[in-house]
Amino acid sequence: MTEPADRRADSARGPLVRAAAEQFARKPYSLVNLDDVVAAVDISRGAMYFHFPSKQALATAVIDEAHKLGHEAVAGVLANKLSGLETLIDLSYLVAVLDTGEDLARAGLYLLESIGRVEGLEARSLGEVIDALAQIARRAVDEGDIAEGRDPEDIARLLVSTYIGIRHTGDLDNPQQFLMHIEKAWTLLMPGFANPERMRYLSQFVRRRTAMASGKVLPQRGPA
Amino acid sequence: MIARQTRSEVTRRKIIDAAVELFNDVGYSNAGLGDIIERAGMTKGALYHHFNSKEALAVAIINEGSDILLKTFQGISRSSAPALESMIHGVFVAVNLGNTDKLVRMGAVLLRIFAKFSEASTVNYGVWLAEMGEQARRAQAEGDLRDDIDAQAAGEFIVSTVLGAELISNAVSGGEDLMERVTRTWEFLLPAVASEQSLPYLQEFLARESLRRRGQSMPT
Repeated sequence: MTEPADRRADSARGPLVRAAAEQFARKPYSLVNLDDVVAAVDISRGAMYFHFPSKQALATAVIDEAHKLGHEAVAGVLANKLSGLETLIDLSYLVAVLDTGEDLARAGLYLLESIGRVEGLEARSLGEVIDALAQIARRAVDEGDIAEGRDPEDIARLLVSTYIGIRHTGDLDNPQQFLMHIEKAWTLLMPGFANPERMRYLSQFVRRRTAMASGKVLPQRGPA
Repeated sequence: MIARQTRSEVTRRKIIDAAVELFNDVGYSNAGLGDIIERAGMTKGALYHHFNSKEALAVAIINEGSDILLKTFQGISRSSAPALESMIHGVFVAVNLGNTDKLVRMGAVLLRIFAKFSEASTVNYGVWLAEMGEQARRAQAEGDLRDDIDAQAAGEFIVSTVLGAELISNAVSGGEDLMERVTRTWEFLLPAVASEQSLPYLQEFLARESLRRRGQSMPT
């Protein structure tokens, strides 16, 4: 007969994670106050502790949910079956759109850096991403878009590092400008590994993606 | 209750799969319901529970095949790519699916057989006309489709020419040269429908697509 209570408890889990994502997307981990999370969901602190015994448990849940969101989105891009390099470009724009527009994605990426040192979570997650991108880059080598002799894993690592760098130096609350940074990064990086004869097409491909992504993101967003 | 529905769904699947195979082997008109029952390894009652005639079975195959095709195409056209790129790419993916997926291929064959005699074809073609029309309107808004043509008409025209290419290819080569024919169709279509500033890019997009399909390396 405990079922109704359990169901009520279950229904609080999702909103708690969402409310936490909103906080973690806007404040450093150490400055997030769980009172704000609890207030947003309108439950008691005790009820929250029933699901998440600590701030870290809540943060880990946010990372997990963000991970799921990322997986689904990436699967969607892969299902489009474009060429390898086009897929890599599309993925970068997808992540940028999620990162600038979805608290969950943004919080997940922040948290990976702030609490990811625990149990090597950050290193493992980034390692997985690099492996996955390297496979796609390998396909791009076979298709001739990436020049022969380039190491797909090096390229994958370069792309991931570049994105993380842009994230730190750019303004996630200014999506249009953020997307321009992504475009410029591709324009600067591609001559380093792309087949020179394909550059004209690929540069246009990148510019067209910026235009599409710009139409999707909201204009500049002020601080919450 | 849930278990029984699942079992029923498994049975239905088995019947459809057996029918697709049989139609493929001996042709739709030569296949009898008895043969399907035998191949699926089930009773007459089980088959009639799901399908009361061979035509009902054919309509189910048409609908399922068409559904797979449409969902695949929509997956691509709902992506972040510009609409005209998705139309080109989606047509190639759909055509390729028709070559590789037995159910989709049989659905297309049956759709042609039933073309004038069944509601299924009206509905299925209608869905494609609407879908392509919508994508064409998007492509126009994005500046890839010329702004001085009727987007709906352009979308519908693309559907007709691709279907025509499929028909001719089946007739003259058993479908073997379909990719080439679809490529050529697009080569003729693009200059007619694409805006001047997007045309060179789209032609290159098409060339890359068609070569990738043929498993060769792309042009440099």
